[in-house]
Amino acid sequence: MKLNIEGLLVYFPYDYIYPEQYSYMQELKRTLDAKGHGVLEMPSGTGKTISLLSLIVAYQRAYPLEVTKLIYCSRTVPEIEKVVEELRKLMEFYAKETGETNKLLALALSSRKNLCVHPEVSSLRFGKEVDGKCHSLTASYIRAQRHSNPSQPICHFFEEFDALGRQVPIPPGIYNLDDLKAFGRRKGWCPYYLARYSILHANIVVYSYHYLLDPKIADLVSKELAKKSVVVFDEAHNIDNVCIDSMSVNLTRRTLDRSQANVETLQNTIQRIKEIDAAKLKEEYRRLVEGLKEANVARETDIYLSNPVLPDEILQEAVPGSIRTAEHFVGFMKRLLEYLKSRLRIQHVVQESSPQFLKDIYEKVCIDRKPLRFCAERLRSLLRTLEITDIADFSPITLISHFATLVSTYSKGFTIIIEPFEDKTPTIANPVLHFSCMDPSIAIKPVFERFQSVIITSGTLSPLDIYPRILDFRPVTMSSFTMTLARTCLCPLIVGRGNDQVAISSKFETREDFAVIRNYGNLLLELSGIVPDGIVAFFTSYIYMENIVASWYEQGILENIQRNKLIFIETPDAAETSMALEKYQEACENGRGAILLSVARGKVSEGIDFVHHYGRAVIMFGVPYVYTQSRILKARLEYLRDQFQIRENDFLTFDAMRHAAQCVGRAIRGKTDYGLMIFADKRYARADKRGKLPRWIQEHISDGSLNLTIDETVQLSKHFLRQMAQPFRREDQLGLSLLTLDQLQSEETLQRIAQIAQQV
Amino acid sequence: MAASSEEVLLVVKKVRQKKQDGTLYLMAERIAWGPEGKDRFTVSHLYADIRCQKISPDGKAKIQLQLVLHTGESTTFHFANENSALRDRDAAKDLLQQLLPKFKKKANKELEEKNRMLQEDPVLFQLYKDLVVSQVISAEEFWANRLSMNSVNHSTSNNKQEVGISAAFLADIRPQTDGCNGLRYNLTSDIIESIFRTYPAVKQKYAENVPHNLTEKEFWTRFFQSHYFHRDRISTGLQDLFSECAKQDEKGLKSMVGQGVKNPLVDLQSLEDKALDEGYGTAATPSTSNSNRTVKENSNSAIIKRFNHHSAMVLAAGLHVEVVLQTSGWFSFHDLGDWYFPVGAIEYEDLQQEDGLKTVSLNLKKSDRYSHGPVPIQTQHYTTSQDIINSVILVQHEMANYKPCLTQVMSSTMASSAIVALSPGGVLMQAGTQQAINQMVPSEVQSELKHLYTAAGELLRHFWSCFPVNTPFLEEKVVKMRSNLERFQLTKLHPFQEKVQRQYFSTNLTGHLEEMLQTAYNKFHAWQTRRMMRKT
Repeated sequence: MKLNIEGLLVYFPYDYIYPEQYSYMQELKRTLDAKGHGVLEMPSGTGKTISLLSLIVAYQRAYPLEVTKLIYCSRTVPEIEKVVEELRKLMEFYAKETGETNKLLALALSSRKNLCVHPEVSSLRFGKEVDGKCHSLTASYIRAQRHSNPSQPICHFFEEFDALGRQVPIPPGIYNLDDLKAFGRRKGWCPYYLARYSILHANIVVYSYHYLLDPKIADLVSKELAKKSVVVFDEAHNIDNVCIDSMSVNLTRRTLDRSQANVETLQNTIQRIKEIDAAKLKEEYRRLVEGLKEANVARETDIYLSNPVLPDEILQEAVPGSIRTAEHFVGFMKRLLEYLKSRLRIQHVVQESSPQFLKDIYEKVCIDRKPLRFCAERLRSLLRTLEITDIADFSPITLISHFATLVSTYSKGFTIIIEPFEDKTPTIANPVLHFSCMDPSIAIKPVFERFQSVIITSGTLSPLDIYPRILDFRPVTMSSFTMTLARTCLCPLIVGRGNDQVAISSKFETREDFAVIRNYGNLLLELSGIVPDGIVAFFTSYIYMENIVASWYEQGILENIQRNKLIFIETPDAAETSMALEKYQEACENGRGAILLSVARGKVSEGIDFVHHYGRAVIMFGVPYVYTQSRILKARLEYLRDQFQIRENDFLTFDAMRHAAQCVGRAIRGKTDYGLMIFADKRYARADKRGKLPRWIQEHISDGSLNLTIDETVQLSKHFLRQMAQPFRREDQLGLSLLTLDQLQSEETLQRIAQIAQQV
Repeated sequence: MAASSEEVLLVVKKVRQKKQDGTLYLMAERIAWGPEGKDRFTVSHLYADIRCQKISPDGKAKIQLQLVLHTGESTTFHFANENSALRDRDAAKDLLQQLLPKFKKKANKELEEKNRMLQEDPVLFQLYKDLVVSQVISAEEFWANRLSMNSVNHSTSNNKQEVGISAAFLADIRPQTDGCNGLRYNLTSDIIESIFRTYPAVKQKYAENVPHNLTEKEFWTRFFQSHYFHRDRISTGLQDLFSECAKQDEKGLKSMVGQGVKNPLVDLQSLEDKALDEGYGTAATPSTSNSNRTVKENSNSAIIKRFNHHSAMVLAAGLHVEVVLQTSGWFSFHDLGDWYFPVGAIEYEDLQQEDGLKTVSLNLKKSDRYSHGPVPIQTQHYTTSQDIINSVILVQHEMANYKPCLTQVMSSTMASSAIVALSPGGVLMQAGTQQAINQMVPSEVQSELKHLYTAAGELLRHFWSCFPVNTPFLEEKVVKMRSNLERFQLTKLHPFQEKVQRQYFSTNLTGHLEEMLQTAYNKFHAWQTRRMMRKT
């Protein structure tokens, strides 16, 4: 249908529309008009992606000079593919309606592992191996060596691309990863470099968060993207953690040992080169003196990871003299390593700030701040000069150099914690140096500054106001949308007591309590008898799940559950869990029914949807608080309190509730879907917890379902499931939660739609 | 009994049954026992009728074998041969063990079918209760001609459906303490089959070791003792028979994991696009050594692994039959090169105008008519006033021309008796009083009467179906049916009659029933006399 969103003609590729989609597009349009940033929360399964794409594409067509590019960031590869497929549907609709051929170029970008077509390289299993192998075939000096030595293996796909690919732009169209690969194979061009080159002039780019948020990668890939772009972070409820992860470094003794080996290799290589080709080193020295920027000389294939600090922090001056010559630099690194080693030889926990660390390193080994800042840059240059092929082998020393650069660049927002052993095993020495970022705004700041509109959206962003605070930006729109429903297809229930009236809770004091574990077991057992097909249960942590599963086994609860359904359990091993997941789906499919025991914050809770019969009930055992005893977390909480005036408890509850909402939200993936959401912890009943759930879940928690016993839960669930099993037709939805074009034009409906969005 | 034509598989002498010495025969399709010195069997059971066999525990003085039938009856044989009793018993047991499962399926299917029929048809169920449970006729007779008509149409549809395995089959083997520090496990052939199907490694072990290395009993004893059965124990000794099984399972699990998953949406490994390099990020680095895991933690993760494996195996065992795994309608995969992507995941079905098959919805104008079924439409003749006037004129015309035919009139006595019969309370006007009975008699008596009618009808149907009596089998049956009828009259009808008479002396509720029975007796009597005459 064709929509009129405040004067903008929007093509929407479906015949019907949800009211919240219309409302969402309105908000989005206002954000784009204001050229500002927005935070939008809309329930999963209400067609966020297609609304976003429809509106932004329409906007791009209407104002080609205002918005030149859409950068759509998602989290996982399947999600990226999904976005491209929805876009394809939209473009097909455009072609059908307007009759003109598509002039848009849209493409997905992923890592080499997903894009490589080289028969040998693409057969490798791990992304790191693929990257390393690719580098060893395409680095500029390898290609230079090829001239003198024709037996040197190179990648023909890259050669072809380099020779021809840049002249002729890729024809307009929609390219997912497979399309790119197919195109690459046909032309004989490398799809990965083709995609990386093409995103510069593409109208729509779909890729993962890291390409924008991780400065090491963003500097390589996304540096030249136009300012007049709209950036969308989908599924952004965890965006702060992504930011923090991209700026944090952990050093263990093993890292240091391996770096030591790296340094020795470097030293030997320098020695060898000096004997054969001293001119090369001299040339490098001359370049460093002049402070020439790498970009001028470096080819895109040479760099494995770019500088870890943000572009505007990178100094425009020449590398300081003390580390200019290769030998001096190696000596410098050796000293740094020794210093770090000595720091790891401790008996007690140390926590200090970056300036303290810099002061200490200056006193102990006379390393100045300035050369430290150039460490990453200098190492990169050296690795290239020495023509190191197995660049992946040098990741430990690269890590050290990144740490050095980061610690000397940022004096605020970071903390250094050195722990001599793990808390659980105080007898085993396993020293770790955590250099952890506490301020997610550091990594995302350049994104907000550079691009004209940044949209942060997800199904679970409540409470909305916390995101602008922790990410330190000023949005022009902040809205939360509810889900209009013709029938209440979600049923959140808070179970607070067992049938024996013992309060159930995963709080630390009672979590090992026999009665609590038994009641949790009974809850699952009872539900396994009444819920059809699949049940997903989430625990607060992996260790907790292990313990509970073991005691359920001892008490025979698991055996009783097995009479009703098959049991599958998430393990720390991703491959094993994938298999369990597939079998789980198979069991739901063939009617046996199954239970999946899983972990909040785990991979399953983050990336897997349990649509329709794959998840008729989700049980959240306990409140998924993060492990509060960790020193990194404590430091972060302190920082949040001091810098952003966010109280510890508020943040912890916010964090726990967003994960709980993520978990239970896995079951509802649309309006025709339905599912039970069972919160098995009495603490959920409190207003401060409940109030932090997304609005679309909160709305359906009645006062009567706050502190249920297991029996009452079973009764309510039975009633709910029986109701939901009735046939559900379009006519039931139409006018309420589903609109036709005619309905959309009536004044009354528009008024109702206006209420869907709740401005914050 | 045509025993000679059957193949006799085993003969055991000196077997006592009900304190009587005799010989036990195991034949191809049945087991039979005959007392010593006589040439007929007093006990004979088809294998299909046997639910299970039980044996007396080893230590006991009497060495017995009990057969439990599906009907719930049981027969006990006592092996009395002094020196070889145990061997005899075991020989019989082993043979039965081989034979019973073969018939089991058939029996089960039949039993299921019977069960289903009884559950679906309450009238039949009542009949069954009246006739079989009260032992008027035997179950066999009852089913004799019912099953045959049903089996035809059902046998084609459900001839080959393999039953899946219950996920909790291991839980069903509840150990019982025998009071002196021991545990007893009850194994049935079903459970054994479940174990074999789920754990092929155990089956292989069984084939390797039983019977030449171990007896069956020892094998299962070891199985239950092994860590393999107790999933929280970690393999310690290598001498354990089943440690190899565990290893094989581990291998199986690994290969399953190694195969990877087909659905890209659940492949957690390729979910992440660009993982952080080692050393970056805030997440705690995995501990370098595995040694610091406690034994408890290890056993916990072992449980989890085994549960996953168990569920996968159970699922696989259930799917053996369907070679072609159905892909669901919801996730229809369409191939996109290396990547195939579920269509359902990106489309909102309710947003689209449905253009698929348009289903016709049932539109009921009168729902009560739907639930009551079709009612024949009564043809109603509406008479117009003109019609009425015409007919009145016609009658008047007839009456005017009436001429009595005096040669054909009745005598006055007959006429008056006819008038009596036609007046209320007379013989021909009893319809009115029957109406009254309908209200007079309480509903439980009515329903009892109804049951009696159906039961009698069933018996009579059996009886009459024997005529014409042209085979010796029918002859036998008709005699039996007559005695059945007599028994029915004695055990069911008479008590009812008495009861009714006690309460409602005036009405004769069972007159018609008795009449029907009497007719049957008369027929039987006529047939018998004719037969006697023919014989003499």
